[in-house]
Amino acid sequence: MKLALEFDQVTKEYRSLFGRRFRALDGFTLQVYPTEIFGFLGPNGAGKTTAIHLAMGFMRPTRGSGRLLGQPFGDAMTRRRVGFLPENLALYPRPAEQLVRFYGAINGMKSSVLKQRAGEVLEMVGLDDHARRNVSRFSRGMLQRVGLAQALVNDPDLLILDEPTSALDPVARVGVRELLLKARAQGKTIFLSSHLLSEIELLCDRVAVLHRGRLVRLGRTAELLESYERTEIAARGTNLNGLKSAIASAQSSCNIGQDGLLRIAVPRDQQRATITRIWEAGGEVISVMPQRRSLEEIFLEVTSGADSTPAGGVQ
Amino acid sequence: MKPVLVVAINFVREQRWPILVMLLWVLLLAFLGLTTEAARQGEDLLFVFKQVAVYVVAFSVFFGSSAIFNDRRSRRILSVLSKAIGRKQYLTGLFLGITIASAIYCFALGLTGSWTLGDAGFPVRQVWFLMLCLLAACMLAGTVALMFSTFLNPFFAAGATAAAMGLPFLLSHTSGNAQWRLLIPVNALAATVLKSSFEAPATGSWLPIFLALGETLVFWFAATRIFSYMDIAVSVE
Repeated sequence: MKLALEFDQVTKEYRSLFGRRFRALDGFTLQVYPTEIFGFLGPNGAGKTTAIHLAMGFMRPTRGSGRLLGQPFGDAMTRRRVGFLPENLALYPRPAEQLVRFYGAINGMKSSVLKQRAGEVLEMVGLDDHARRNVSRFSRGMLQRVGLAQALVNDPDLLILDEPTSALDPVARVGVRELLLKARAQGKTIFLSSHLLSEIELLCDRVAVLHRGRLVRLGRTAELLESYERTEIAARGTNLNGLKSAIASAQSSCNIGQDGLLRIAVPRDQQRATITRIWEAGGEVISVMPQRRSLEEIFLEVTSGADSTPAGGVQ
Repeated sequence: MKPVLVVAINFVREQRWPILVMLLWVLLLAFLGLTTEAARQGEDLLFVFKQVAVYVVAFSVFFGSSAIFNDRRSRRILSVLSKAIGRKQYLTGLFLGITIASAIYCFALGLTGSWTLGDAGFPVRQVWFLMLCLLAACMLAGTVALMFSTFLNPFFAAGATAAAMGLPFLLSHTSGNAQWRLLIPVNALAATVLKSSFEAPATGSWLPIFLALGETLVFWFAATRIFSYMDIAVSVE
């Protein structure tokens, strides 16, 4: 299968004027399949934007290589099939419709097609009423939507969006979410970098977590969430401390509550074994409560390693 | 070709205020033409014309040295280069934009000069030859500045361009060999304009113009090679 986006052992180092090196990406490997919505997560300075800029050909990797829609990074003609929304978007000050047509024209689109298409994409992002207004008078949320419109103007096969909903109000956010789901249904691939983990959880088929330039988690969103699911077991017994030491393990957390119950949180796959151990230790199981963890909790756990100092990067 | 034209037109549009200010100088010359008695004060008119003419070389250096920087600092370059446009095309668009901006000025000045100096007895054909010299000088100066601006900030790029343009003059002065002035013939072309008089309307030949056009291509090529290796997303400040 032809991949939509591929990083192969990509390392990117920045050098200061005095020769100091700073590694933003370190042996980064990732494959994004066609027609999926892929979530790209990581704390500030993890190297997400660097990875996106490498894919767009704004910079070259120090080592390794990558392909965008089957072509090496930096191939201009391939970008005709790509829509890109940068983080901290900056646009030329002119009416929204003219601006969208300008970006379409750079993509080589014909003027006759552009006029209609510019209207369509502005309508998609809910700015059809503001098409003739200069974007220099737009709010940040409106600018973000013009940015989305310019990314969509060439009807791209692959959309690379860096924080697309960061400045949007909840209503506009829902609109963008629907837009992206519709795009996937039309067979488009979406590579989405965002800090809004609830959005990622709702939208993405797969997610990758980047930390200090390295890939620390990759998988299907549902499976990732499931793998982190835990069960809280409440138990009681005559000797709570004895019971606690009998069932304590590296993967469980136990505490004795004010209600006199021992509460044990264990990974879901250890639920049965833990209940058995409680019974064997003479305890009594009072309740078993599955605890679903959000992507945010998983993200925080994954990225709060021993050394939590940000690696830095291009923002 | 279309993306190149779009970038060029966009550049002219973004620089419309400096271009309009430049054209005000030309209007000043036209005003002088209206208020002076051309036949009696022809030398004064020619002096003003020559002064106003060479400003455009400085403007082209200003345009060339700041074009990439402005787009990088504002991060607008990211949304432009995320489209189906190569870096070579982008630079060509900027070069074309600088040329168009300079050509607008040269054309307006040529029209005004033909009218005012023509009345004073200066050959109109020579006015246009001088404008051609000026445009060739602007194209070369703008491209040299553009090349330096691929890796230097506008201040240093303008300084480096001034040094590169002054070097042939210095070599010619120290060695006593006038041929050195053709090395980067911006100075030679500007001198053609500045030395023209009613007695000798244009003392230069076509050689510096052709050399300037050839060297423009060389510097454009060098600029595209250097720019292709630059990390454009890295902050320029």
